Amino acid sequence: MSSAAVLAAEFQAPSFEYSLLSPLLVIFGVAITGVLVEAFAPRGSRYLLQAVLAVLGVVGALVATVIVGLNLVSRGGGTAHGSIAAEGAIAVDGPSIFIWGTVLVLSLVSVLLFAERRLEGGVLSFAGQAAALPGTEAEREASTRGLEHTEVFPLMMFAVGGMMLFPASNDLLTMFVALEVLSLPLYLLCGLARRRRLLSQEAALKYFMLGAFSSGFFIYGIALVYGYAGSMNFAAISAAVSGRAGGEGLLLGGIALLAVGMMFKVGAAPFHAWTPDVYQGAPTAVTAFMAACTKVAAFGALLRLFYVAFGGARWDWTPMVWVIAILTMVVGSVLALSQTDVKRMLAYSSIAHAGFLLTGFVGAQQVADVGIGEITSLQAVLFYLVTYGFTTVAAFAVVTVVRDAGGEATHLSRWSGLGKESPVVAGVFAVLLLGMAGIPLTSGFTGKWAVFTTALAGGAWPLVVTAVLFSVVAAFFYVRVIVLMYFSDPVGEGPTVATPSILTTIVIAVGFAATLALGVVPGPVLDLAAAAGEFIR
Amino acid sequence: MPLWWPLLLSSLLFAIGVYGVLVRRNAVLVLMGVELMLNAVNLNLVAFDAYFRDVLHGGQTFALFVIVIAAAEIGLGLAIVLLVFRTHGQIDVDTMRELADREEPAVAER
Amino acid sequence: MTVVEVLFLLLGLVAAGSALLVVTTRTMVHAALWLVVTLGAVAGIFLLLAAEFVAWVQILIYVGAVVVLLLFALMLTKAPTGPQPDLDARRALPAVAVAGLVLAVLGTTVVAGFHGVELDLDGAVVGSAQTTGATIFQQWVLPFEVLSVLLLAALVGAIVLSRGTGRRGGE
Repeated sequence: MSSAAVLAAEFQAPSFEYSLLSPLLVIFGVAITGVLVEAFAPRGSRYLLQAVLAVLGVVGALVATVIVGLNLVSRGGGTAHGSIAAEGAIAVDGPSIFIWGTVLVLSLVSVLLFAERRLEGGVLSFAGQAAALPGTEAEREASTRGLEHTEVFPLMMFAVGGMMLFPASNDLLTMFVALEVLSLPLYLLCGLARRRRLLSQEAALKYFMLGAFSSGFFIYGIALVYGYAGSMNFAAISAAVSGRAGGEGLLLGGIALLAVGMMFKVGAAPFHAWTPDVYQGAPTAVTAFMAACTKVAAFGALLRLFYVAFGGARWDWTPMVWVIAILTMVVGSVLALSQTDVKRMLAYSSIAHAGFLLTGFVGAQQVADVGIGEITSLQAVLFYLVTYGFTTVAAFAVVTVVRDAGGEATHLSRWSGLGKESPVVAGVFAVLLLGMAGIPLTSGFTGKWAVFTTALAGGAWPLVVTAVLFSVVAAFFYVRVIVLMYFSDPVGEGPTVATPSILTTIVIAVGFAATLALGVVPGPVLDLAAAAGEFIR
Repeated sequence: MPLWWPLLLSSLLFAIGVYGVLVRRNAVLVLMGVELMLNAVNLNLVAFDAYFRDVLHGGQTFALFVIVIAAAEIGLGLAIVLLVFRTHGQIDVDTMRELADREEPAVAER
Repeated sequence: MTVVEVLFLLLGLVAAGSALLVVTTRTMVHAALWLVVTLGAVAGIFLLLAAEFVAWVQILIYVGAVVVLLLFALMLTKAPTGPQPDLDARRALPAVAVAGLVLAVLGTTVVAGFHGVELDLDGAVVGSAQTTGATIFQQWVLPFEVLSVLLLAALVGAIVLSRGTGRRGGE
């Protein structure tokens, strides 16, 4: 018998739990169908097809997620439930399901924002033809023919698929592949703005360069951890860490380098430098999607990596997270004060939020460490991510409707007197800002309450004191914008508020409602987060 | 051969790559630095794979994946670089300063 | 010293030396060519370390595709062929410091971690296409499938960025 025949006889087909992976399969299926639509459907019908396909796909994946979530099996006692699927590559457990649900709902909202056409006079807010030079014949032709890149929908779906796989991956190899699947489409989407094309392309280049650089560190970290543990699998790494197989330096170096890659993705200082530039330059719909969903996915992955694989080395990495958290809160809150562009200001605000989330990250991790009725740090961070995501998407959606002749009026001076021009939009934006600041009766307050109490339960009180202090600093610049909108006189002809189509209106309404609802009755979502339990190992 | 030989070579290549990324101004040359970094990682992975006699060949498989992902990344990255070249007329990463913290942003309205 | 060790030292010297030239040369096209030398030498080291398939993929994809792409990019961005004085930023000193720090930290980590550990290559299972394929399609099948999706996404993305009006196409 030839060696090939021997191997064929030995080869066992991999087990692939299609039902558990169905949400992922739906999203990737929709993305690939979108590519086919792009190839075969006539140009005129593509917009409608793509938008409907994307919405239906996300809704379908959401339904699949709920079904999978209801059928999770209990595993190893405790509150952890779920299964490890696809030959150990992915962990479908409570936190995965919660993150999938969050990413999908936020993506659904973002798809609507992507599909908005009315604000640009009947075309998408993405470049009609990315390759055409601004101000040339080709560019004018592209806009008179109403060309638009409907490929943004399948590209977004690819990114959503990566965002779902990233926090659920159960080995370092899958995690790295997922990281790239979520990043590559985003690099590209950043460069596709219809207005201010040069800024948009500069943002794409910067994001790409820094992203590639940081993923170099990320995989060097993976190589070191592999050298330490002899395996890519989180359970095997965790066993090696607990057994202290020797080579401490190797493990610590690996953890540090992996942290560099992760902190880059979540936008934590000192790896935040790309955030304001990219958030400002990218099309606002992409910024909204990126700010909300990438942060959710990246924090999910960060928690799984550090809690599951490196849980045994907790006391080694906690000091590092403390330093990063404090630095991130300082940078985010202080630098936001001097911003004159509303998108940059929101970017720094998202950096500050990453700092608050990191505060929760070092909180009480074990169910045994918290009192009855209290939630663990994982559950608190999950809840915070929901509150942050909805408020952020809605805030960027508001940015898309405040416009002047050149497109979106992102300079803050253009926002003065908005309260008189459009009390509704200004009022909504004020509530969203108060939510970000964490004023009681908004979602920001309940979210902060959750992460700060879990951090206190974990004994991180100096960190909580710092966080509360910088929440106050951060509140100052949110309030400054509100004062500007209501108590300043308009400069020049003043801002105008364009009337968006029903799509953007839905986005703003949903985000606004979530900000208030999660502030007044956080119970149901907190219960859901608590029901997510723990990561399976 | 001592295991630290390939590992040290890998650290050296990685450091050279980092230097290239930091010091080069042309975007294509920066990407070459990134490629050196990725290759250093592959060397590490393959060396560990041989050391552990990994039956799952985790190290070699990861190295293969890194190569493929690097190719995809370069393909997309060069598309972005060429686009920037067409609109900006150059690809010097140091002159990309339109997006930055400043008192009064000089926003190019295009 | 065994043959493998001598070969490794030679290839390692070539790889490190040409890598240094990649990041220091004043002529852009030369940087790409030196990169070929580095990648080729590293592929040789892969062969020594029993990673046969990885070595050939390295040659095929890196040397064959990536470097050609880089050369195309240099050409399309009208990179001057002669030596250029201003390829580097003025921050050379900080860059040297950072790179030196990276080398010092990573180097001491691996040397301290594996001092005196011998890499025994006798009788190692060679990572041929067959063994690699068997593990990929069994153990790593999910990431492998997702990788194909990634390639599709990158392909679509690159086309979006560079496609013309499509007028000469079928529309």
